[in-house]
Amino acid sequence: MSQLKDVLKPGLARPLAVGGGVLAVIAALLPWVTYKFAQYGGDNYPAAASLQFFDAPFQLEGYRLHTLILGVVVVVVALAPVPARHRVLRALGWGLVAVGVINTVFAAVEGGGLGAVTAADGAIAFGGFACVVAGVLAILAGIAGGIEHVHVWRAKVATPVAYLVLLVSFVVLLLLVAMMLNAGGQGGVGNPYAGPIFLSLLGFLAGALGALHGVGLTGWISKLSDQHKVFSVAVLVLCALALPFTEAGTDYWMTTAANIGIYAATAIGLNIVVGLAGLLDLGYVAFLGIGAFVAANFSGAAAAAFGVELPFVLAAIIAAVVAGIFGAIVGSPTLRVRGDYLAIVTLAFGEIFKKAAQNNIGGLTGGANAIPNVPPINWFGQSFDKSLTIGSLELPSGVLYYVLIIVLVALVMVVFANLKNARIGRAWIAIREDEDAARAMGIKTGQAKILAFLIGATLAGLAGAVFAHKTSTVAYDSFQFIESVTLLAAVILGGMGSIPGAVLGAALLLVLPEKLREFSDYRLMLFGLALILIMRFRPQGLVPDRHRRAELADEGAEGVPIEELNVHDTPGGSTAVAR
Amino acid sequence: MATLLQQLINGLVLGAAIALIALGYTMVYGIIQLINFAHGEVFMVGGFASLATYSYVLPDSWKSDWYLALPLMAVGGALVAVVLAVIMERFAYRPLRNAPRLAPLITALGVSVVLKEAVRLWYPGATAPVPYPRAFVDKQFSVEAFGGRITIGSTALLMIAVSLIGAVVLQTYISRSRMGRAMRATAQDPDTARLMGVNPNRTIVLTFAIGAALAGIAGVLYGIHYTNVDTEVGFLYGIFAFTAAVLGGVGSIKGAVIGGFAIGLIKSLAGQYLPGGTSYDLVWIFILLIVVLVFRPQGLFGEPERVRA
Amino acid sequence: MTATPVLSASNVSMVFGGLTALSEVSLQLHEGQILGLIGPNGAGKTTFFNCLTGLYTPTRGTVTLRGRTLPSDPAAVTVAGIARTFQNIRLFPSMTALENVMVGRHSRMKQGPLASLFHGPAYRKGEADARARSLELLDFVGLTGLDDELARNLPYGDQRRLEIARALATDPAVLLLDEPTAGMNPQETEAARQLIFAIRETGVAVVVIEHDTKFIFSLCDHVSVLVQGQLLVEGAPEVVRGDPRVIEAYLGKPPDEVEAEVRQYAEEAGRPSAAESTMVIPPVRERDGGSEGGNR
Repeated sequence: MSQLKDVLKPGLARPLAVGGGVLAVIAALLPWVTYKFAQYGGDNYPAAASLQFFDAPFQLEGYRLHTLILGVVVVVVALAPVPARHRVLRALGWGLVAVGVINTVFAAVEGGGLGAVTAADGAIAFGGFACVVAGVLAILAGIAGGIEHVHVWRAKVATPVAYLVLLVSFVVLLLLVAMMLNAGGQGGVGNPYAGPIFLSLLGFLAGALGALHGVGLTGWISKLSDQHKVFSVAVLVLCALALPFTEAGTDYWMTTAANIGIYAATAIGLNIVVGLAGLLDLGYVAFLGIGAFVAANFSGAAAAAFGVELPFVLAAIIAAVVAGIFGAIVGSPTLRVRGDYLAIVTLAFGEIFKKAAQNNIGGLTGGANAIPNVPPINWFGQSFDKSLTIGSLELPSGVLYYVLIIVLVALVMVVFANLKNARIGRAWIAIREDEDAARAMGIKTGQAKILAFLIGATLAGLAGAVFAHKTSTVAYDSFQFIESVTLLAAVILGGMGSIPGAVLGAALLLVLPEKLREFSDYRLMLFGLALILIMRFRPQGLVPDRHRRAELADEGAEGVPIEELNVHDTPGGSTAVAR
Repeated sequence: MATLLQQLINGLVLGAAIALIALGYTMVYGIIQLINFAHGEVFMVGGFASLATYSYVLPDSWKSDWYLALPLMAVGGALVAVVLAVIMERFAYRPLRNAPRLAPLITALGVSVVLKEAVRLWYPGATAPVPYPRAFVDKQFSVEAFGGRITIGSTALLMIAVSLIGAVVLQTYISRSRMGRAMRATAQDPDTARLMGVNPNRTIVLTFAIGAALAGIAGVLYGIHYTNVDTEVGFLYGIFAFTAAVLGGVGSIKGAVIGGFAIGLIKSLAGQYLPGGTSYDLVWIFILLIVVLVFRPQGLFGEPERVRA
Repeated sequence: MTATPVLSASNVSMVFGGLTALSEVSLQLHEGQILGLIGPNGAGKTTFFNCLTGLYTPTRGTVTLRGRTLPSDPAAVTVAGIARTFQNIRLFPSMTALENVMVGRHSRMKQGPLASLFHGPAYRKGEADARARSLELLDFVGLTGLDDELARNLPYGDQRRLEIARALATDPAVLLLDEPTAGMNPQETEAARQLIFAIRETGVAVVVIEHDTKFIFSLCDHVSVLVQGQLLVEGAPEVVRGDPRVIEAYLGKPPDEVEAEVRQYAEEAGRPSAAESTMVIPPVRERDGGSEGGNR
């Protein structure tokens, strides 16, 4: 990096950026592939000359529009007075690179080699390459100019204005989510384009968001939402509830979104244990399983151990309590075991659960036969798996589960946020940072840690109860080690200790496989790679905790030191502060 | 009685495999306090690599001669395992050497998933257990005794012999050789070791490599004894071996070997005699693991962990 | 001085394996006193300190706080009224300065998990009080306006102050400072001295471990010298300063050879301006020092 810096004089920043931007605009108008896509009327990928992509930003042609927008913005940013200009340029550059690489690679794979993206059969297509080069130029321009700190907006606004800003931002967010979910339709053999469209859009949005972050807009909005917490939460929940009324209001996405919600709620529970208290739990999915089995046994299903059918709310409470008790049991070794040994203890508990469930312990789990036919939740005669008709509006099936799960996620978020900003939350963070010092401050660390396990497990148990009814079959193999790893990956990918992070992490880890059905075999491998790469390059995750975000603002182009997972065994502990 | 003896033998064989893997765990943990979660997968990869050596590298005329095939398979398995471990150390763990301790553990988890998936996806037929060639070293010795028949195969004897010899050689190497001294010095205090002219990076890589080589050899022995290998064994045997290393006292060669045999015997006897039988034999091992970690984390032979000043 | 001491250690012995780290050490700290504990490396200062903070339970002898025997758990000791700082600063690095101090309020807040969960009026009042008190303490140690800084971004000297503020937040009767001036320049050392005086003014008794004997002699009302696990000398600074046994213990030479030299140091000790010639025993970590707690 330093050698690169020597070559790149600050004076080069503007010419590089303008060059990159212009090249991106040209790239947007060049053909990108040489072969013809049957689905798009035999045109090139897409039609070279038609400008139909302007009215279809979320279809296969959309990437051209995205490239065009990014290119124009790069030129504007290079010439106009923009705060944190070079940081913005770098973000836009990465967006261009992402869009270029994703579409080029996909076309090359799909079209059978490099010829598909260069020149073949008398057709030429260098659009993708031009786009990548343009992106690299913009990134280099950013580095040459020196990456600034994130710009901070200190503007104070009146409450109504703040409300308006928040409302608009969240509605925009809702529409974006809906469009992204629907972009290119769902994946699978029938629609091989869903994956690249989604990924390309993701790349574009990441670049755009990075730019907005650099300018300080996202920071400002998140500060506003911090100041008006209640309002933001309410609007956010309303927006989430509005999703069924948008394009994404299909049976398919309701189901997927509900699954995401269950995992997100569980991940937030895990975030209490891992993110706040710093205790690595490798068997966490067992609590989801315990909750699910308890609820299934009280559901009146034919295979249930108890012949009673309890109302869902009651069953869910029992499930949460039972899971919480097991959480306290699993957490009790924390009194004596620390750090990575503790992680192994939790792993062992998780495996014991799996084995016990597999062997139908006490006739409670159905063993290999599972507990099938758990009836759907039924309130006021409305079964949750049926579609719902309000007046003339027919909502997709599964919408009630979706709503229930939104409420669940909101509840879990409130629990997390309230605990985090209270005496117990500070105690957890203190334990994570330096357990001995925490004890010296009068914190009963053993109690606090067991409480973290207990609460985390309770939340997972609650999610498990919903899970049981929603999936209707509860089988031991839904709760294996790899699921624990997935949850952990969601927490770490999103950012430890951060709520939006856990939701985003869970969403990414579950939406991506849906969009990339044809690559579903690679799902676990990608999780593994993600864990390695995040620990190496971005241990604070995608949406770091507020404090860490402040810390990141001081970082330049280089990586960020890993101090987030501040859990030390005793000998290393003393060095925690020495940096 | 015969059943008991037979189970003891089975347990010893299983224990020998576990001991070989546990040596790698204990050495790496001893030197950089990393639970190399991926070590079990290295063992699994070793099993597949030696199978690949047999299937794709060896000329057909050598395949029937065990004295040609077996050593070459072992070399193939160990070599791939070592290369893998060195890459792993260099690119996944070394950059995190000064990071908080959970970071490398999570990375190890990631590496473990990646290795398992890579084999499952890319080794032909590895979505199910892949059969090992068996004919060429399969000789059963059996005796009638105690009112039953007790059988031990040549592969079982080989497994036990290799693990014992491996442990003795390793112990001698570490206590006598120059590199062994460097290892012990680095384990005690890497900074001081550096001042004394020891290159900690080289020492750590060497530790990984030795552990991986043993795991690779364990892989081939496992394959020829149990006559197949599949992608699940890495995780399972990784846990067994880790339990063995902790039981014996992390950092102790002797402890790893005795711990390995103990785990093998416990699994085999628990499967025979404890309630639940083989369905619950793993549960007993996990319970043992928890109990040891909670009540005697220094293991049977380790010293209580001294606080490093 | 009142008759009953705040903190009293009587005949404290500590044996590790076969090694006697402390033998029969007695010490009394009175209301409003600043007591200095000095001694060469390996003298058992840190061991003694750990006996006072509940990390170790003495093999023999007792430590009492206002007549009550100390519990053997660091958290309970803090609740009982003894707060401490660490030799190698141990703040919570990614919490803000304010949050660090608020963690110190932990044991003085009545806020159960349920109150934390529901954020009711009691919660809000408790938080507001803790916050106010913590801000007050930040002001007191001279960190006004730095409450929103992350602890790890503070300069070294400020980190030391923050650690003191955090300890004071536990409303201690006794404050134990483990080498509060290690690594500080003369100006910072002087500021620390003034701060400790100010802490005494608030009615908190202070025990200071230091290598910097000059600092101790200019600060403390009472000085105890530990050598090889035993209490060698104790008394007023001027008495201890001139004691030949102390000089020998520190320098390992017969007293007369170095007497003149030491007298010169001792004289300078009274004048903070001659800061360069401080008599400092380099802070090498002791055998059992540095890493409290152990892996239990």
